Amino acid sequence: MSLFRRENLHSLAAPYALDALEPDERRRFEKHLKKCDSCPAEVRALAEDAVRLAWSAAAPAPAAMRERVLAAVRTTPQENAPREAARARPPQLPPHVWGVQPPPRERRRIPLFVPFATATAAAALVVASLFAVQAGQTEDQLNAERTQAREIAHVLAAPDARATRGQDTEGRSIGVIASASEGSAVVTLSGYDDLPSDRVRQLWLMRPDAQPRSLGLFGDDTPLVASGLDTSATSLAVTVEPDGGSPQPTTQPVVQLALKSVGFGE
Amino acid sequence: MEADELLMLVAGGDQRAFEELYALVSGPVFGLVRRVVRDPAQSEEVSQEVLLELWRSAGRFDPGRGSALSWILTLAHRRAVDRVRSARAAGEREQREARRSHNPAFDQVTEEVEAGLEREWVRRCLDRLTALQRQSVTLAYYEGYTYREVAERLSLPLGTVKTRMRDGLTRLRECLGGVA
Repeated sequence: MSLFRRENLHSLAAPYALDALEPDERRRFEKHLKKCDSCPAEVRALAEDAVRLAWSAAAPAPAAMRERVLAAVRTTPQENAPREAARARPPQLPPHVWGVQPPPRERRRIPLFVPFATATAAAALVVASLFAVQAGQTEDQLNAERTQAREIAHVLAAPDARATRGQDTEGRSIGVIASASEGSAVVTLSGYDDLPSDRVRQLWLMRPDAQPRSLGLFGDDTPLVASGLDTSATSLAVTVEPDGGSPQPTTQPVVQLALKSVGFGE
Repeated sequence: MEADELLMLVAGGDQRAFEELYALVSGPVFGLVRRVVRDPAQSEEVSQEVLLELWRSAGRFDPGRGSALSWILTLAHRRAVDRVRSARAAGEREQREARRSHNPAFDQVTEEVEAGLEREWVRRCLDRLTALQRQSVTLAYYEGYTYREVAERLSLPLGTVKTRMRDGLTRLRECLGGVA
C-alpha cells in the first residue's frame, strides 16, 4: 500500500462510490470525508450514480428464497436502535449511507411524511432537522419551534407511534404520526398552494355520531401537533376557513385521512 | 407504499411491511448480487444475508440522508463485493471462471429475464461512455475489482483509472438525466 498525499485522497471519491477501495484506503478516505466539506455531497452524488447501475441489474429472486428469508425474519430479533446507536457509526458501511456525515441543508420542508413506526431514532432526526435550518429567525420563532419540536419528539417517542399518509391525485398529501395511547398526533401537509392571507387551513377530528372537533390551524410549512384525541376518532379532515378558524367546518374538506391504521377508530 | 415508508415500518418490527419491502427490493438485491458474485448458490446466500440484515438493522436507515433504495442497494453491493473478494482471495475464482466457460455467458442468462426500462437506459448510456470509462466502471462495480486491480487489468496508471471512473459515473449521470 502506498502513502497518500492529501490531494490524492480526494480523487478516491469515485472508486469509493464504486466500492473499489481496499480496506486500508477505504478507512483513510472515510477519515478524510469527515474533515472535507465538499466531499460528502460529491460522494453521495457518485453513490447515487452507482445505484443506477445496481438497479439495471435487477432480476427475479428465486421463489424459495422468499420463504427462507421470511421464516428467518419471524425468528430473528431486530437490533435495538436507541437514539445514540442510530447515530453512531455502524461497522463497514460508508458514512454517507449510514448518515454519519451531515446532510446537505437545502430542504426547508421537514420530511415528516414517512411513517416512523418506532420513534426513538426518528425523534432525534426530526428534532435535528427542525433545528437545522433556523438561521435568520427571531428568538420567539425559535422558541416556538423548540416547543413544537419537543411535542413532536414526545409523540414520536410513544411506543405505539404509527404513521400513515394520504395522497390525492395531484400529489398533495397529508401525513400523520400518531400515538393512540398518548392521544396525540403530528400532522403535516405537503404540496398545497399558499392561501390568500385571509384564509387558513384548519384540522378537524372526525368522530362517529359527533360534531367535528377543531384540532388547530396550520401555519406555514410546519407540522401541527394535536393532542387529546380519543381512540374513537375515525379520521382527520382539513378545510379552508376564514382567518382565525371556525367553530365548525364551513367548507368541504380538501383532504381527509382515516386513522384506523394508526391505532384509532377502535 | 414506497421503500422508504416500508423500511420505517420494518424498523418498528412490522413483518407485513417487511413482506412488502421484500417484494419491492428482492429482485434488485438478488440481481445486483448475482451480477457481482455470479455463482447462483452463493448469490442466493448473500442476498438472503442482505435481506435479513435489512430486517435486523432497518432502524439505522436515516431518511434524511438518501433514499431507502439507495441504502439497500449500497448495502447489497458492499456485501456482494466482500464475498467476491474473499472468494477470489481463496482462489475459488479460477475454478468458477472455469466452470463458467461451460455455461451460457452471463449476459445471455440475464437476457432471458425481463429487461426493464431502466436496464435498457443504463445499457444505452454505458454504451455512450468511452471504452476505458465503461471498463473502469463496470470492472469495479459489477466485477468487484478494486481500482488497483482495474488498473492492472487495463494496464493503466492508477490516476487514469480514478479519473475514468469519475468521468464514467458523471457521464452516466448526464445521460440518465434527472430521473433518479
